[in-house]
Amino acid sequence: MALFGRRNVLVAMLLFAAVAPTFLNAYYLFVANTILIYVLLAIGLNILVGYAGQLAFANAAMFGIGAYGTGLLQVHFGWPFWLAFPLGALIATMVGLAISLPALRLSGLYLALSTLAFAQFTQWVFLNWEPVTFGAGGFKTPPISFAPLPISKTLGLYYLSLILVMVLFALAQNLVRSRIGRAFVAVRDGEIAAESLGVDLLRYKALAFGISGFYAGIAGGLYSAMLNFVSPEGFDLFQMVIHKAMIIVGGLGSIVGSVLGAGTLVFVLEALRKVKGVQEIAFGAILVGFILFMPGGIIGYLKEKVRGWEEPLHRARASRRPPVAATSESSEVRP
Amino acid sequence: MNEALLSVRGVSVSFGGVKVLDGIDLDVKPGEIRGLIGPNGAGKTTMLNVICGIHPPHQGDVLLDGVSIVGRKPSAIARLGLGRTFQTSQLFRGMTVLENLMTGLHHRTTAGFVAASLNLRRYREEEEAAEEAARQALEFIGMSAFADRPASALSFGQQRVIEIARTLISDPKVVLLDEPAVGLSLNRLAEFDTLLRRIRDEKGVTLILIEHVIRLVMDVCDQVTVLSSGRRIAEGTPDAVRNDPGVIEAYLGKELRARHSAS
Repeated sequence: MALFGRRNVLVAMLLFAAVAPTFLNAYYLFVANTILIYVLLAIGLNILVGYAGQLAFANAAMFGIGAYGTGLLQVHFGWPFWLAFPLGALIATMVGLAISLPALRLSGLYLALSTLAFAQFTQWVFLNWEPVTFGAGGFKTPPISFAPLPISKTLGLYYLSLILVMVLFALAQNLVRSRIGRAFVAVRDGEIAAESLGVDLLRYKALAFGISGFYAGIAGGLYSAMLNFVSPEGFDLFQMVIHKAMIIVGGLGSIVGSVLGAGTLVFVLEALRKVKGVQEIAFGAILVGFILFMPGGIIGYLKEKVRGWEEPLHRARASRRPPVAATSESSEVRP
Repeated sequence: MNEALLSVRGVSVSFGGVKVLDGIDLDVKPGEIRGLIGPNGAGKTTMLNVICGIHPPHQGDVLLDGVSIVGRKPSAIARLGLGRTFQTSQLFRGMTVLENLMTGLHHRTTAGFVAASLNLRRYREEEEAAEEAARQALEFIGMSAFADRPASALSFGQQRVIEIARTLISDPKVVLLDEPAVGLSLNRLAEFDTLLRRIRDEKGVTLILIEHVIRLVMDVCDQVTVLSSGRRIAEGTPDAVRNDPGVIEAYLGKELRARHSAS
């Protein structure tokens, strides 16, 4: 295995994330936690857009639904966070499954527009259904505690996020290397051919939407707990653009790319926060730069230049590979 | 009662008042290689699209192994054992050759969301079996060396052959091939004859073949059906069809037909 291969780099990143709280101050810990939350958002969106090829624009809305769901269940029903959080994620998953229904009839720009309309509708509900959502001003969520454990809320939430990222990263990574991941890519690369091989389009589009809804819902619940506050503007169109930018910068169709893209963009956005107005400009420049000069994203660059970054859509069995390279190439070039 | 494996009964399709298929009947026996020929616009591809469920017929019925498949989704028909290839290459460009073939096994494998995402043992075993089957399929067409190439890096002719292998890997009963010889050079055509016969003889697959390369049709097909303007104008052995006056007229026109028979 190459020293700077994918596995080693990921392990190093994980170790860094695990010990980071010991030397990061409160602000940097907040940034680190934000990165973890955006990693979840980017992974979910990449499965839907990068793998299954569905150009949907509802991720920020589902992020919001997760945050509102988790927060409002605590505020209105007095439920504990530990119950409201999974339920909020479940609601976002259901909404994801529901918006997959138009996706079966629409594709490309039409799907983009209809999901965008849905996102605007969600935004409108957050703003105007005041008895429930508290309108434009948003609402405070009850403070959460990690009671039996002797750690602060900030630290507890950071490690909760880290554990969820590890687990959901592993699940996504396993999934995209399986027949389900290949079915997603088949739907992306050729719907008619996919169907002719027995891939049920309805089922796999719905599954991709449901997964992205679930990941966004989990991220939303964590986000509401991190800020202790939920308001509509966090889940607007700009938020959606950030998610899209993350998977483009990281690399479409790559789970690791989602992680790299989320980390890079949160870092850049935070670094530029102090300079008013520069944030959007730099953000736009990065996006245009990547689309023009590195369309494969960071992961595309790594796959090309560094050994050990291949990402097959099946489990590589290094041990049983037949001796390919040396033998045939020239002798067996067929039709 | 009816020994046909695939049976098309009185199928009609019209697009905006134009009858593309007009009461077509077709019976294909198990183990047959059936040619489907006809001038441009005869309705050959529409015929395949009706059989595999992309266009529902406005009238008539299609039976696969005695079961009506009209009104089912293409993916459901595929699961019943009907495979097809397309006029243009439809390999998944974001996958390697091996992964394309493994995708061909989609409906023969069962690992669900939970088994796959948790990497359970049952799923791993199925995945290994799928990879093994994919490697064997590559061996069958003599392209083992291409397993880990990206599908997009292959020549057009190579893509067509891989696509046929991808359809065969799930052991279908019937495979519909839409102009498989397009993009093959003349000296590859002879090998292609052999490949089609091996598919029938070694895999036991019944083939329906649309082809403009008449030589290939005449060489490998047991029976040939000729369509013209949505009607079946002839059916029989390649030799019988070749000399059928109606067929010559459909291809060459009346006047040339007269000259053809004079010479």
